[in-house]
Amino acid sequence: MSLTALLALADSRLPAGGHAHSGGVEQAISAGLVTDPVSLAGFLRRRVGTAGSVAAGLAAAACAVVGRAVGGGAVAAGAAVPPSVAAALADLDAEADARTPSPAQRAASRQQGRGLLRVGRRAWPHPAWDALPTQPHHAVALGVAAAAAGARPADAAAAAAYLSMSGPATAAQRLLALDPITVAAVTARLSPLVDEVAGAAARAAAGPFGGLDLLPASADPLLDLLAELHVSRKDRFFAS
Amino acid sequence: MPPDHDLDDYVDPYDPGQRRAPDGGPGALRVGIGGPVGSGKTALVAALCRTLGEELDLVVVTNDIYTTEDADFLRRNAVLPDDRIEAVQTGCCPHTAIRDDITANLDAVELLEARHPGVQLVLVESGGDNLTASFSYGLVDVQVFVVDVAGGDKVPRKGGPGVTSADLLVVNKTDLAPFVGADLDVMRRDSDAVRGEKPTLLISLREDPAATDVAAWVRAQVRSRALQSA
Amino acid sequence: MVARAGPGGRTVLPVVRASGQLAVRRTGPVTVHLVATAFGPLGGDDAEVRLVVEPGAVLRVRSVAAAVVLPARGDSPPSAQRVLADVDGDLDLQLEPTVVAARAHHVATVTVRLGAGGELTLSEQVLLGRTGEQPGRWTGTTRVLRDGRPLLHTTLDLGPGAPTWAPPMAPRAYASTTRVRPGPGVGTATGVDAVRLPLPGGWVSTAWGDALDRVARADADLHPGSRPAAQPVLAGVPS
Repeated sequence: MSLTALLALADSRLPAGGHAHSGGVEQAISAGLVTDPVSLAGFLRRRVGTAGSVAAGLAAAACAVVGRAVGGGAVAAGAAVPPSVAAALADLDAEADARTPSPAQRAASRQQGRGLLRVGRRAWPHPAWDALPTQPHHAVALGVAAAAAGARPADAAAAAAYLSMSGPATAAQRLLALDPITVAAVTARLSPLVDEVAGAAARAAAGPFGGLDLLPASADPLLDLLAELHVSRKDRFFAS
Repeated sequence: MPPDHDLDDYVDPYDPGQRRAPDGGPGALRVGIGGPVGSGKTALVAALCRTLGEELDLVVVTNDIYTTEDADFLRRNAVLPDDRIEAVQTGCCPHTAIRDDITANLDAVELLEARHPGVQLVLVESGGDNLTASFSYGLVDVQVFVVDVAGGDKVPRKGGPGVTSADLLVVNKTDLAPFVGADLDVMRRDSDAVRGEKPTLLISLREDPAATDVAAWVRAQVRSRALQSA
Repeated sequence: MVARAGPGGRTVLPVVRASGQLAVRRTGPVTVHLVATAFGPLGGDDAEVRLVVEPGAVLRVRSVAAAVVLPARGDSPPSAQRVLADVDGDLDLQLEPTVVAARAHHVATVTVRLGAGGELTLSEQVLLGRTGEQPGRWTGTTRVLRDGRPLLHTTLDLGPGAPTWAPPMAPRAYASTTRVRPGPGVGTATGVDAVRLPLPGGWVSTAWGDALDRVARADADLHPGSRPAAQPVLAGVPS
């Protein structure tokens, strides 16, 4: 298990395209729903509890699929991934679609998944990358990245839950010119929630029954609405 | 000390300059066009599209700060058909999108290249930024930095990565020099001093809407990539 | 309950079994009504509805009155209602609203497994708290599959104790409609505190707010073919 891999996956410096996505906060700011650190904390809490929870479950499940089949971390050159892995990852990708009915959010997720695939393939070479579709959901790609980098399913869940908060936090800081230290304090104080959400999602992904229907599916119609309003705008800084 | 061959293991072997198009050929030359707000980047891109559009198969990626205005300008002026222009959002950070996390731009470039097999030239226009902004060579093969005379004749002397290291420096709006008290000779001299062998072109898009000299430079770069890769 | 295509477009019900809190009454050629045989559900109750709609059959399921979910005495455990439907024909499941009284927690799960030709219309309306009372909690999950492939899987957790039930979205009323059939999907539409999203072969619409009648109307306004009042689509999202 590599702790450094987890840090790298959650690092906003990883060039996977996340910096251009606000996770809905740009539209929430336009709609007057997020105006200050307090309303930002509320927004982030919703996001971690819904999109973050869903992503964490999918990422943990994807990581486990790869880990079970070929083992994580550096794999012998030329090692192949059994076809069942591609099928299992495709199933998870379909589960991600079912949990993301908003076309704007789907597109944002797949765009970031493709970005992560691009950097992950070169940073952590692993045969499992070839088992992903060309534009996977971000959470599924994140699970594969975690496996390829030698992290565990629980780490994949933690990274997914953390990113669901850190992306919009940074975007809000830029858009509202908030004190970056205030925003850092908000995200620090939300970290117990992030841990809790990630832990629950990882447990669901590892459950004794293991059914895909047991992965978290928390929806947020408000985020769906914001995402659809946002994508129809021409005057925006962020891709989502 | 003997060379440490193990260090190679840390480096991923991918070389963006050696990339191949799906057809196995060298693929398109990717040219970054950067520079401060208002220096004439979009006008230069439009001029290049008009001048080179007939002879080269070309596409454009725009990086507006806030809107799709640059892309719309190119569409409105019918410089290029819609399906040859892609706009990317830069998340309030135009320089991040061309330098630190080039994902969205690579996506747009690859999308256009896939949509137009055989494309020879990709122009990536950055969002207007400051003098420190430059393109990552993971995104472009060569880059042009556009400043203008109205910004003051001290700009080349002040330098910055854009001015000193761009493959081509373009000083636009020379027609304004008499009105803003800028000395073109000083700009030329200072540019040469900080840029060494790298070329600088002083142009006026108003007087030469075809951007003849810049187009000639780009043409030569396209040819050179095709020859190198052949 | 098993629905089978019968002569003359009529649906025959070769299997109807009900016990406990629910009874089934046939009320039309293709329609049945669920009738609650007792107050409730109460905290701790667990109801399961199993539906099979065979190819060519049409089944409309309704209820006669709103279900009022009440807490058990003391520390009330949640009540559960699970609907599992296998649908190769056409299932139209639209029950009267669920009202969740203060201190009650109702967990509703609907799983619909569509075969290749299956059609679904599903609507849910929820009101948290009776008049003048604190809201209860409702956790609703919808999972729709076609040929084993998931089309929609969402869980909405509303009411006190739900982690995401907080401003700017802590509604007392919620309505949602899911429509799926073989064929193309329907695009996105937005309203004020309402959104319709596409599904393969259909759509899902959702609306939320304080008053159930208004929320139900906002949901219906987003159904394809409805003629809603003028909507300020980009006016933002009043909380």
